[in-house]
Amino acid sequence: MSYQAANPLSEEFSLELSGPLAGYWLAFLRVVTGWWFFHAGVTKLIEDGLSYSYGPMYLQGMEGTALGPLPVWMGNNLGWLIEAMVPLGETLIGLGLLFGVLVRLASVFGAFFMTLFWVGNASFGHGLVNGDLMGLLLFGTMIVFATGRYYGLDAIIERTKFVKNRPRLRYLLG
Amino acid sequence: MTQTLNTIDKAAMAVSGFLMVLGIAVLGIVEILAGEPYGAAAVEQTNEAGEVVNTIYPAVDPTIRTGLVILGLVILLLWGIYKVTSPIPGEEQARTTEVPSD
Repeated sequence: MSYQAANPLSEEFSLELSGPLAGYWLAFLRVVTGWWFFHAGVTKLIEDGLSYSYGPMYLQGMEGTALGPLPVWMGNNLGWLIEAMVPLGETLIGLGLLFGVLVRLASVFGAFFMTLFWVGNASFGHGLVNGDLMGLLLFGTMIVFATGRYYGLDAIIERTKFVKNRPRLRYLLG
Repeated sequence: MTQTLNTIDKAAMAVSGFLMVLGIAVLGIVEILAGEPYGAAAVEQTNEAGEVVNTIYPAVDPTIRTGLVILGLVILLLWGIYKVTSPIPGEEQARTTEVPSD
């Protein structure tokens, strides 16, 4: 999929996949997903600071899931880290997506969060596909389509000499 | 950055996609064919007093289904790490051409 690097605000309108409409929609998805995580994180920071005690409790309750003993072990032994990283991580992931910076890297961490939410939150009463899985797929979409390149700062960062000399960084940007 | 898919790329896409579709859709069809409950969770049946008299479990344990999806996601993650750590064809050449000759 191409994007109009020269003029992202082009007034062309097309129903083709490569058209400006696709870029507009991917950017919109990115901003909404970013706001979702930023809101979740920053409100935790406001209320509990870096001591979000529900985080370790949540992991300790994840017994008998497909992730085995890993989340329970994390809840028991990495509580101090989880308490800080849940609000901080959600906020940073949200900011990354909102501004389109390091979108692919932020989305990998977002997908990790959503995997824990999907496996731990749900009783799957309405089937395996629920809002948490859709959120996980949204982060996958951010990675695959490199949505930071559409009206995001990654489009500018990727044109710097530093990134051009290190093209593998585009797997983390974009 | 246009690259052609190598064997590892194709294998990662095929295996992860297969595992995730198996966990979500294929075993979902199995569950529908097996009858109630149609969700992926156990359903408690209660009497008029609200006491649980019976529990119906899904035909396929949701732990197995979520496990298949997570396995697919792990393969995608490992594939991503492989892509980040593998040199891109022409990468070194691109970097050396940026060095001033004087």
